[in-house]
Amino acid sequence: MTTRRHVSLPERLADRIGRVLEFLWSGWAGIAAMCLLAAVWQAGHEAYGSFILTSPVETLQAAGALSADPRAWIIAFTTLQRAVTGFALAALLGGGLGIVAGYSPATMRLASPLVTVILGVPPIAWIVLAMIWFGGSDATVRTVILIAALPVVFLGAARGILTRDRGLDRMAQAFGAGPLRRFVSVGLRQTTTTLFPGLALALGTSFKVAVMAELLANAGGIGGALADARTNLDIADALAWVIVSVALLIAVEYTLIYPVKGELDRWRRAAQPWGIKR
Amino acid sequence: MSALNLKGVGHAYLGRTVLDGIDLTISRGEIMALVGPSGCGKSTLAHIAADLVEANAGQIARGYRRHGMIFQEPSLLPWATAEGNIAFSLKLAGVPRRQRAARIAETAERVALLPEDLRKFPVELSGGMKQRVAIARALAVQPDFIYFDEPFTALDVALRRRMQDLVIDTCAGGQLSGLFITHDLQEAARLADRIAVLDSHGRGVLGIRPFPSAPAERTDTTNFEWVQSTLGNDPLFRHIHDVDERQIT
Ligand SMILES: Nc1ncnc2c1ncn2[C@@H]1O[C@H](COP(=O)(O)OP(=O)(O)OP(=O)(O)O)[C@@H](O)[C@H]1O
Ligand SMILES: [Mg+2]
Repeated sequence: MTTRRHVSLPERLADRIGRVLEFLWSGWAGIAAMCLLAAVWQAGHEAYGSFILTSPVETLQAAGALSADPRAWIIAFTTLQRAVTGFALAALLGGGLGIVAGYSPATMRLASPLVTVILGVPPIAWIVLAMIWFGGSDATVRTVILIAALPVVFLGAARGILTRDRGLDRMAQAFGAGPLRRFVSVGLRQTTTTLFPGLALALGTSFKVAVMAELLANAGGIGGALADARTNLDIADALAWVIVSVALLIAVEYTLIYPVKGELDRWRRAAQPWGIKR
Repeated sequence: MSALNLKGVGHAYLGRTVLDGIDLTISRGEIMALVGPSGCGKSTLAHIAADLVEANAGQIARGYRRHGMIFQEPSLLPWATAEGNIAFSLKLAGVPRRQRAARIAETAERVALLPEDLRKFPVELSGGMKQRVAIARALAVQPDFIYFDEPFTALDVALRRRMQDLVIDTCAGGQLSGLFITHDLQEAARLADRIAVLDSHGRGVLGIRPFPSAPAERTDTTNFEWVQSTLGNDPLFRHIHDVDERQIT
């Protein structure tokens, strides 16, 4: 937008730094919650012993050992790559279809029963089908992710277009914006309100489904490593891989989703008084 | 050629006729006030004339170069600052990026918006400020025709007068024509050249009355007297303060 041009650089920088500090401050709550979880975990460990549940410290040590192992990085990267590409496919396809359906009631009427059907079929069934079609390859994992994550993105995008403020469309038209211009400058921007929660949900689904599909389709990656850990009855290793996959999800979410969302939601934050920011 | 010419315009929403047989001509440099009871189709008529809504019947001839529009609701982009909202119309009008800042500053001053208000998002502005941003957005593109849809309703008395003066001044050079929808006869008497009354069911323009002198020459006293005498004597204005004719009949 042209607006930011008129705000001086130091001011923009100060704004950005303020937001980062605020974000870090909100991290305290997260750390407290993690400590609580670790305490419960430790209690479980003390009650049942290392064979059933390793202690948090042992698990972290196992995760540390993994992080020193280059092969583990390759495994993690495989899953990361599959999850992100699968997510990108779902985001593009679901977002595109959703936007079309939002503008065209006929498409919406055709698509919504299909979405219901897709949502109704258990993901495990898709994994079996994908395994038959593609074997234990990237394509299997991506297909399952696509199918699992598509509906939320589709619904988010369609809802955003459907619930848009038509007054803004009319305003843009009154000032001479053609259909494409209106879509780009007004329609698309309004979808983000409902599209972003959908995308965040889809990203989480992508990682979960990726690991699950890898495990069941014997396709390597973190899922494959978990299968190995199960064969070896290595609880510490299994939990360490869980930590790795959660860490990957968090890393991607905070590098991909939140920065964009923060930039888009500047005006919403302006409406909130200090102190009740989430 | 006139600035705007409507002939036999009609419109129906979902089969319900809201406008029928509207004839209206606005000359160059003229402000036409349009009054009528709430729900009689004034906004719809403005939208048809500005090509936002397609008419079911009739012909529309536009003799102006570029129009601006001030809607009944401010219709600001919530994610853009006041400045960004004004820039939006400038961008659509093809004003080069380098000239925009100067235009924005100049127009904002005309509508009494402070520079610090320009940095605010619409959620941070008061109702009257939002409406002034919307007015600035329409004025910034330097249109030669403006559709005003009850633009000053959210403003207090002093600001409203100031905005009316702004319209009078802008029009005094004869550069600007406009359709000014209002429910306030006093306002119409201040700034319009002629006043048209729409039928309470949208069935045509009931009549048009010229004002006796140019807007700049009128005083509050003459305006007040005009309003009193028309409300008292002119049968044309008998129904314009009826609340919603549809619900009564
Ligand atoms: N999008 C729409 N769909 C269906 N009916 C509509 C729509 N917009 C307006 N109408 C109807 O058209 C009629 C005229 O509406 P319009 O907004 O033009 O009235 P108005 O004269 O501007 O009223 P007001 O003075 O209250 O602003 C009303 O009866 C309204 O219910
Ligand atoms: Mg109206």
